[in-house]
Amino acid sequence: MLAMLHQTYPVLLDGLMMTLLVSGIALLIGCPLGLLIARAALSDSRAARWTSGIYRSFWRGTPILVQLIIVFYLPMSFGLKVAPVLAAIVALALNTAAFQSEIYRAGLSAIPAGQLEAARLLGLTRAQILVRIEAPQAIRLMLPALISEALALIKNSSLVSVIAVTEITRRAQQIASATFHPLEAYTLALVAYLAIAAVLAGAGLLVERRLAHGGSR
Amino acid sequence: MTLLSPEFVALFIRAFAITLGVTAAGLAIALLLGLPVALALRSRRTVLSVPARLYVELMRGAPLVILLFLVYYGGPSVGLLLDAPTAGIAGLGLYGAGYFAEIYRAGLNAVPPGEIEAARMLGLGRTQIFLHIQMPGALRLILPPGTGQAINLLKESAVLSIITVPELTKTAGEIANLTFSAVTPYLVAALLYWAAVETLARTGRAAERRLGAAQK
Amino acid sequence: MTETAPLPALSIRGLKKSFGPRTVLNGIDLDIFEGDVVCIIGPSGSGKSTLLRAMAFLDPYDAGDITVFGRLMGWRDTPMGRELQGEQELAEARAPLGMVFQHFHLWPHLSALANVTLALKLARGMGRKEADALGMEMLGRVGLASHARNFPDQLSGGQKQRVAIARALAVKPRAMLFDEPTSALDPQLVGEVLSVMKTLAAEGMTMVIVTHEMGFAAHAANRTVFMDGGVIVEEGDPKQLFRAPKSARLAEFLETWRERAI
Repeated sequence: MLAMLHQTYPVLLDGLMMTLLVSGIALLIGCPLGLLIARAALSDSRAARWTSGIYRSFWRGTPILVQLIIVFYLPMSFGLKVAPVLAAIVALALNTAAFQSEIYRAGLSAIPAGQLEAARLLGLTRAQILVRIEAPQAIRLMLPALISEALALIKNSSLVSVIAVTEITRRAQQIASATFHPLEAYTLALVAYLAIAAVLAGAGLLVERRLAHGGSR
Repeated sequence: MTLLSPEFVALFIRAFAITLGVTAAGLAIALLLGLPVALALRSRRTVLSVPARLYVELMRGAPLVILLFLVYYGGPSVGLLLDAPTAGIAGLGLYGAGYFAEIYRAGLNAVPPGEIEAARMLGLGRTQIFLHIQMPGALRLILPPGTGQAINLLKESAVLSIITVPELTKTAGEIANLTFSAVTPYLVAALLYWAAVETLARTGRAAERRLGAAQK
Repeated sequence: MTETAPLPALSIRGLKKSFGPRTVLNGIDLDIFEGDVVCIIGPSGSGKSTLLRAMAFLDPYDAGDITVFGRLMGWRDTPMGRELQGEQELAEARAPLGMVFQHFHLWPHLSALANVTLALKLARGMGRKEADALGMEMLGRVGLASHARNFPDQLSGGQKQRVAIARALAVKPRAMLFDEPTSALDPQLVGEVLSVMKTLAAEGMTMVIVTHEMGFAAHAANRTVFMDGGVIVEEGDPKQLFRAPKSARLAEFLETWRERAI
């Protein structure tokens, strides 16, 4: 296995970069989109709430693999050719937006109304309330959930291998078929994913500890 | 041939049944295997708790597709020859067990120690306490995340298509090839998944309500 | 033949217990006889709850002996030293004791009646009909027969504690241990629990009660034990103890309590 690692680490590293790139961009796009969907879910407009509900229900209620294939083939049936990487990022972003919106929704509705009233009575402006009162608390509440969503997203990104995006899983498949050593190849991929999970878990602990001690400052 | 021709409808029905079947089998393994892993996690003996913790972190940190590749393609090099559905169900079950172990553990930890002490004072044995006090007490906390995890396994079962299990996603792909309509079969599949997920979610909520009502 | 002195129900000799570096019980000697109603009082952190829990071996003690109706509790003495009793042996040693907890610890998934009957069915192998009849009788004794079908969530704190008492009584213990049974209750609910306990005392039940209810300790108990710093500082007839404390620590404790009561 070490020999295989020695031979193939440039390819695996390349795959790791692709995994992080695709997941990272999808996570970032999913953030504003998720906030928008959460905002719509808490909106006064019935149509907005309904649209938000349907969106979340579809993207959370169907397999990511099916979503990915639909996003990849849909433009093709209109004669448009989309690069697999682009389709992968779009599908993952639309998916994580739905899951992130649930996190934002829970985080925003968790702050007691009394706190905001108290702030208003003390003469704080709406912007001050958002920045000083709501955001710090909401971030603290949502961060653990966001980190586990990031991990879920990275795990989901393994499926973009089916549309030939050369991330870790795809690279491991290539190595497996070139070397005829599937056990070793997939074990290396497994180790790569576990390493990402460990780093994310560590980052989560670090951030949580900082938030627990220092607050927003 | 159109998508709604009887043969395609029959294919979809068969594939949907296979999806439900592999999910149910994987869920059963996950539910059963998760329990001893949860007990090992809670054990004071590190020979039990450390391997259990490693198992859980492995299953929760790895994508299902990699686990399936390891079992299905990597298995033969260590003498483990499984057909695709068996490998798929085993992979789904082992994967789900990691999550269910954590769900059980959290539920069991939430049972106040005093409730167990009260049972011990009345002469109940360890097994009796586990079955009649700890598990029912934990059920309220296990049910909501347990339902969520069952839904996850249903959705993750689509990954079994990659190792050629003829379930819903795999069949949608085959129909797409036959009809030269790339997207529609997958939309039909998505609709069927969505219906199954909604049904599971509603069932879970109803069970929670019943459990709550029985105690109110 | 000379008349032998009665054997104590509970006998404690040289009892010691530490949690890590902190010594919580530092040499306790105490005999409790059948029919005794003993109140243990003292400031928080004095070790009184730890002593009560040690009597039932809910926490293992480090040194000394606790003998309950002639049986050593929790430990087995062997030539190689002490070893923990097995599950069955410990259950037998505990069998004469009933315990009531500060936070009731009713099982939330079972009705009041099912809380009372579970141990009858499981530990005593009683049939359903017989267990239910006995359970109803026990609930009747604490005035809650009409609440048999209610779940703990639907009961007040005082009612929960009365169900907990009925649950402990159902298996016919020879002595009852109460760990601050009224401390978690709203003030207006304390009375109903104390009156059940008074009735029980009047019926001759052997009782050990850790409490902050000085009135109960003064009037319902026949002996009061004052603990501080992990030792028994003073012990005796409650009326004498409350009227004329011998030690400065008890005098001070009673003074603080009187100030708080006013």
